[in-house]
Amino acid sequence: MSPLQKKAIRYLIALLIIFSLNFLIPRIMPGDPITNLLGENFIVTESTLQALKSRLGLDKSLFDQFLDYWKNILRLDLGYSYLFNQKVLTILIARIKWTLLLLIPSILIGAVVGTFLGALSGWRKNNVPNKLTTALFLSLYSTPPYFLGILCLFLFSFKLALFPLKGFYGTGGLGDILLHLSLPILVMSAFAASRNYLIMRGGVIQERGKLYVLYARAKGLYGDRILLRHVSKNASLPVITLIALDFGFLLSGALFVEIVFSLNGMGTLIYDALLSRDYPVLQGALLVITLMVVAANFLVDIIYRLLDPRVEEK
Amino acid sequence: MRGGLGKKQGSPHMVTGNWNRIGLFLFCLVVLVALGADLLAPHDPWQRFEPYQSPSRDHLLGTNDIGNDILSELIHGTRVSLVVGFGAALLATFLGLVIGLVSGYSRGVVDEMLMGLTDIFLMIPRIPLIIILAAFLKPSFWMIGLALGLLWWTTTARVVRAKTLQIREMSFVESSKCLGFRNAHIIFSDVLPNIIHVVIPKFMITVATAMISEASLSFLGLGDPTLKSWGMMINFAFVKGGFINQMWWWYLPPGICIAGVVLTIVWLGFGYEQREERIMGRV
Repeated sequence: MSPLQKKAIRYLIALLIIFSLNFLIPRIMPGDPITNLLGENFIVTESTLQALKSRLGLDKSLFDQFLDYWKNILRLDLGYSYLFNQKVLTILIARIKWTLLLLIPSILIGAVVGTFLGALSGWRKNNVPNKLTTALFLSLYSTPPYFLGILCLFLFSFKLALFPLKGFYGTGGLGDILLHLSLPILVMSAFAASRNYLIMRGGVIQERGKLYVLYARAKGLYGDRILLRHVSKNASLPVITLIALDFGFLLSGALFVEIVFSLNGMGTLIYDALLSRDYPVLQGALLVITLMVVAANFLVDIIYRLLDPRVEEK
Repeated sequence: MRGGLGKKQGSPHMVTGNWNRIGLFLFCLVVLVALGADLLAPHDPWQRFEPYQSPSRDHLLGTNDIGNDILSELIHGTRVSLVVGFGAALLATFLGLVIGLVSGYSRGVVDEMLMGLTDIFLMIPRIPLIIILAAFLKPSFWMIGLALGLLWWTTTARVVRAKTLQIREMSFVESSKCLGFRNAHIIFSDVLPNIIHVVIPKFMITVATAMISEASLSFLGLGDPTLKSWGMMINFAFVKGGFINQMWWWYLPPGICIAGVVLTIVWLGFGYEQREERIMGRV
């Protein structure tokens, strides 16, 4: 079995376990299971309650319920939200694109800026500007992304009035969406970059003392060219792993940033569902997020293998 | 030549040394504030004054929507952040250490199983899962700390395992084996002391992550309602109109406190790591 297949099996098991956990949570938690399954947004009579109970399968055995749960997932039926009066899947699909629109550019910008600046910082002399940059990225690393968002809103929107206060679009044009998105993307990119910066910096410092660097210098290459041609290739490998592992963390960060900027994505959806305890939406969101995290990790595994064939030999 | 080299290595060491000392000093200050919150806070954080006051001599950071003194809330919030952060990180580091040591030392099937488990835990979207758990259960201080601790051990386990794999092949471990010591003894007295220097910075990072996570969950209103935490203060400022009405003295200080304390802890971990690397590099 190739390592990639082995990974794929592990990911599948992870999905199975998290999805099963999702089945168990509303059923083992304290409180009425009907409320736990449907949310707290409906009031019914006793007879409809019984009807609902049998329709939800709560009178069946736990095992049969478990089978039904999987059948529904395979049929892409994630339940119904009584808060939004819509199917959960429909709501999720409508919201997820906005989250990805915020998340993916931020991850890419954060990766490029973070690795580039981190490489330079690890390579060059540890002088005052270099130390200040590292201190800046350490501070960004230490700040919860939503507070970074609040800080930026305070500075740029309240004090300087450069950016709009909230939402994705005023008129709906492309330029307008960009204007509304630029500040949240800036915040998320800075946060993502800070994590990549610190790893890349450490990687370059480690690689700097290796023999191939000395050889490159001996054959006549100069300073920054050694970094760009040789060192950065080796030092960026841990960053690629980090980007995969960080995907879930950054996604969570994006959810919070959305709430601060009132962007209409998954984050605000989870927040609204949380305030009115709309459990089906919360659970559906967890499933979709898990699926995205696993998919992102698998994708990065494949990319990693393409970039570093040595992994295959191990 | 030798002296020159020594000097070269000595001077950045001095600089980092000073920075570490500043970090340590700041950290002790934070711990003191947490311990002496009752003495330091000008008012009882639950006492009610006139709500929505601007900063004044009596209330240096004003009052919130129900009239609590914000500065006193801020001082008392230090406790929650530190206790959740360190409690969760202690649990997570302990789990990571045990799993990593067992996995790296025994190799084979046990290693495969434990690393499989680690891979699975790495895939769990932790914050969304805790959000859901907290939505079903009544959010409490214990639940959040426990959930963070039980979910955050994975990267520590990986680092510990990698290091254990290296160390178990070294000759002093082999000689212990030849002398007939039990595996448990070898793990505790030969392997553990040699990986502790990678665990400490990892521990600091875990404290930082747990504190940020606690602040984020509280920001969603999932904090313990019987305690005052920094994340919750920002949440109230955000929900109860402090943000829209630009009452910056309400929502900026708690955020700055979170970032500042986390930065101090990350800084300490970072400085420790660099010092260790320099010592290892010299040997």
